[in-house]
Amino acid sequence: MKRPQGIPRLPYAFFKFYCKQSRFEEMHGDLEEYFYERVERLGMVKARWLYLRDVLRCCQPYAWKTPHIYKNSNTMMFKNYFKTASRSALRNPLSTFINIFGLSIAIGVCVMTYSFMNQSLNTDKFHENKDKVFLTTIFADRDGKTAQYGVTPVPLAEHLKEDFANIEKVCRIHDQNAVIRLNDQVFYEDVRLVDGEFLEMFTFPLKWGNKKSLYDPNSIILSEEISNKFFNTENPIGKEVLVIFKSGEKKYFEIAGVAERFPNEAEIEFDFLVNYSNIEVAEVNYNPADWAKFLDATLIQLNDPSTIANVSAGMKKYLQLQNEVNKDWAIQDFEFISIDELYLRSSNMEQSISYDDRRPGRVTLPFIAAFMLILACLNYVNMAINSIAKRLKEIGVRKVMGADKRKVMVQFLAENVFVTAFAMLVGLFLGFTIFMPWFEGISGEQYGIQLSDQLFYLFLLGLLILTGIASGIYPAFYISRFEAVKIFKGKITLGRKGWLTKTFLGFQLILACMTITAAVVFVQNTNFQMNRSWGYNQNHVMYIHTPSKEMYDKMKAEMERSPYLENISGSADHIGRKSSHSVAETLDRKYEVNELKVEPTYFKTMGVEMASGRVWSEEVKSANREVVVNQTFVKQLELAEPLGFEIKISDKDYTIVGIINDLHNQPFGTEIEPMVFSQVNDGDQEFLTANITSGYDFKAYDEMESTWDELYPEIPLVGGLQANIWDGYFRLIGNFARFNKAVASIAVALALLGLYGLMTLNISGRIKELSIRKTLGANMLHISKIMSTQYMVLTIISICIGAPMGYFFTKFQLDLVFAYPLPMGAFRLIIPIIILIAALTSVIITQIIRVGKFNPVKGLRSE
Amino acid sequence: MGRAQIGEFEELVLLTVGVLYDDAYAVAIAAELEKQSGRSVAVSAVHKSLYRLEEKGMLDSRLGDPESKRGGKRKRLFNITPYGKKALDESIDLRAKLRGQIPDLAFQFNS
Repeated sequence: MKRPQGIPRLPYAFFKFYCKQSRFEEMHGDLEEYFYERVERLGMVKARWLYLRDVLRCCQPYAWKTPHIYKNSNTMMFKNYFKTASRSALRNPLSTFINIFGLSIAIGVCVMTYSFMNQSLNTDKFHENKDKVFLTTIFADRDGKTAQYGVTPVPLAEHLKEDFANIEKVCRIHDQNAVIRLNDQVFYEDVRLVDGEFLEMFTFPLKWGNKKSLYDPNSIILSEEISNKFFNTENPIGKEVLVIFKSGEKKYFEIAGVAERFPNEAEIEFDFLVNYSNIEVAEVNYNPADWAKFLDATLIQLNDPSTIANVSAGMKKYLQLQNEVNKDWAIQDFEFISIDELYLRSSNMEQSISYDDRRPGRVTLPFIAAFMLILACLNYVNMAINSIAKRLKEIGVRKVMGADKRKVMVQFLAENVFVTAFAMLVGLFLGFTIFMPWFEGISGEQYGIQLSDQLFYLFLLGLLILTGIASGIYPAFYISRFEAVKIFKGKITLGRKGWLTKTFLGFQLILACMTITAAVVFVQNTNFQMNRSWGYNQNHVMYIHTPSKEMYDKMKAEMERSPYLENISGSADHIGRKSSHSVAETLDRKYEVNELKVEPTYFKTMGVEMASGRVWSEEVKSANREVVVNQTFVKQLELAEPLGFEIKISDKDYTIVGIINDLHNQPFGTEIEPMVFSQVNDGDQEFLTANITSGYDFKAYDEMESTWDELYPEIPLVGGLQANIWDGYFRLIGNFARFNKAVASIAVALALLGLYGLMTLNISGRIKELSIRKTLGANMLHISKIMSTQYMVLTIISICIGAPMGYFFTKFQLDLVFAYPLPMGAFRLIIPIIILIAALTSVIITQIIRVGKFNPVKGLRSE
Repeated sequence: MGRAQIGEFEELVLLTVGVLYDDAYAVAIAAELEKQSGRSVAVSAVHKSLYRLEEKGMLDSRLGDPESKRGGKRKRLFNITPYGKKALDESIDLRAKLRGQIPDLAFQFNS
């Protein structure tokens, strides 16, 4: 069809584009008629404009072409499926709700798991040089066990740079907790001393400032978080920061850079960066050639990562250098681990700059997500099979009209995918608004999913298809089997052989039983851990940390003046805060022990109980050769006669004079280690501890804090009440319990929904029978018996299977996380079983009441 | 089948189709409506009503002969079906009935 004379080109093309073939001639005829008439009356220009207006006005649905897909019989078919699916979904709002609710919770959990896994597996993989940068690790033997450590001898970095041509860059890292003074505020902050290459090896773009400034020993670089903490969103470049290092030295730095916000995937981060050369100021007696000392990390960067084997092969010569000077910690081997692999391997490593604490999460979360998905799918299968009765006629008609078995199956699967897709939308919403923030709250980390993450969409698609098919394949298969003739004759008997649905429900109940056991036991365990004896009297004790002798003397005098404090005692170490690793030597073996240097009064102040023997005499100030050990020490060293036993600790000879009851120097997650208490040298005291008169705990500590602030406004006070030192740990284990509670709640809710749905369907299927029974005079007891027997039996069987499984599952989990778990026993199962039975019974009872109130006339009349 | 429902504009178009017996096509209907009612009528609105009424079975249509003033294109000519007449009658009857029930008092406008 050619464009007629005078008609504007673009509007004509547009009209041709949208207009139906069958109406084109008549409609365009009308438009042309107008056009020609207007050309004569109003002139060409105006007519053309009016033609455009008409074309636009005619662009309405009545004139549009039917898109191709509408003509395709397959799509027509799916459109019809969609219609029947939404109709049947609306007809059974209850089962639809149960299905969608269950599926969406499961999908929400899956989304949360995805974000966790994705982030966890991609940790530190955003660095451009991740394959070229390697951390030097060592293998060393302590305690008779060879372990991998992330630390390296101090001089190694210099040697590596000189000895290997293929090493492009070397970077040393040393961390120190120092006092930072900024804007008249003082804080303890982690300062990272690094070589200037640090910012070239790692991809940490700067928001402000220049990366090269890290080579300048007087510059300091801040993270965005720190910058915001001190300066809000202002640009702090050029401002001065005072750092008071552990050595007591003060140094002013100029802020030369602020890093951009670290990605969520960053594990190796920093708060403050200064040049490594400052280590001379930061550490007392720093000796760059001392092979006996260790450095927090040595990183190397290669041009060609494949040449790492050359470096590894050439490391032998350093072993000897180190082994000569540090016999206790002799290095056996070196290994280079690229940044790409570092995070996932760091859970097997000690003292590494990368620390992986998500391993339990990576193991358990996918399991939990899968469990939830299985539960929800089982619910779906059960509901689908049981609601078939209502759709038998439809299937019959479809079959008569020529649908074969496959067509019916496809129909039901399509319906299923449709329901799943809807559940997925709800699930995404739940995942992003409820589960992820909740999980972030528990783990204290930020999780997120980038909208540009293609893998996520693939994951969702996979989840959609998997869930849709897994939950739909059996019902579809089951439904499509029926023969049309039998359906119409009414010969199909449904619900007689419900073993499959019952198995599914039983499975759900078992899972519910397991998770609820875990939740209850974990809550009990949290209480158990919180009430567990610490091995000493942690109440009404305060401690403060005094880094220098001058501080110690002044504060001791102040504390002695306080009316609320008594038994003031000084020590170099402090239970729960500081202790050093020393090597204890008997004639034939070496043991690693925790050594605390204290004054003899310390035992009384801390309420440590003596099991036998005595404390060394108070008169002996120095050169004391008597020590007190704990029971674990005696047990591990297998001492038959511990009192009077002579032992070498850190190459000095001691005699054991007393044994104390075991106490927790570390939170309960760690087993008690052998401990040695020895006399502190005068002048080495760093901690002051004192008993507080009961009832004045906070007042006494607050007074000391304000005294300190007057004396040392530049340094924040480190100290507190002894009873509070493990608050963080208790919060952590409380989170474990909360996590288990949430999982159990979901699992139980899904199981209850499943039971509720099944009973509802069962009752509506047997409504005639129940009505007849009622009219013939059956009493409630009888009716409740025939209704609930099968479910009661199922519940009992499930509990018999689920309870022992829950028991072992929980025990396994507890033993994994706690060194001193709640003692388990069969009696621990009583509470969870009671909760579960109560919940299940309440569901059954509501149904029985419903039937009891039901008017049998209605049931008999209905058809 | 329930009562035939037609809108106000549709009713006007239906009436005009009857008026223009045997020469009722979109342009003519629009022109006639404009002439009779005095308001401007877009041809697209007429199209829409015509096709809807045809779908409802109140109008019938056939293609006319090609005409040069239409660039050699044929036009679609409409005429009323019995069902269309019934719908029209019902609609007009209803109006008349309602109009007849208005008490005279309602029209006594004493200002």
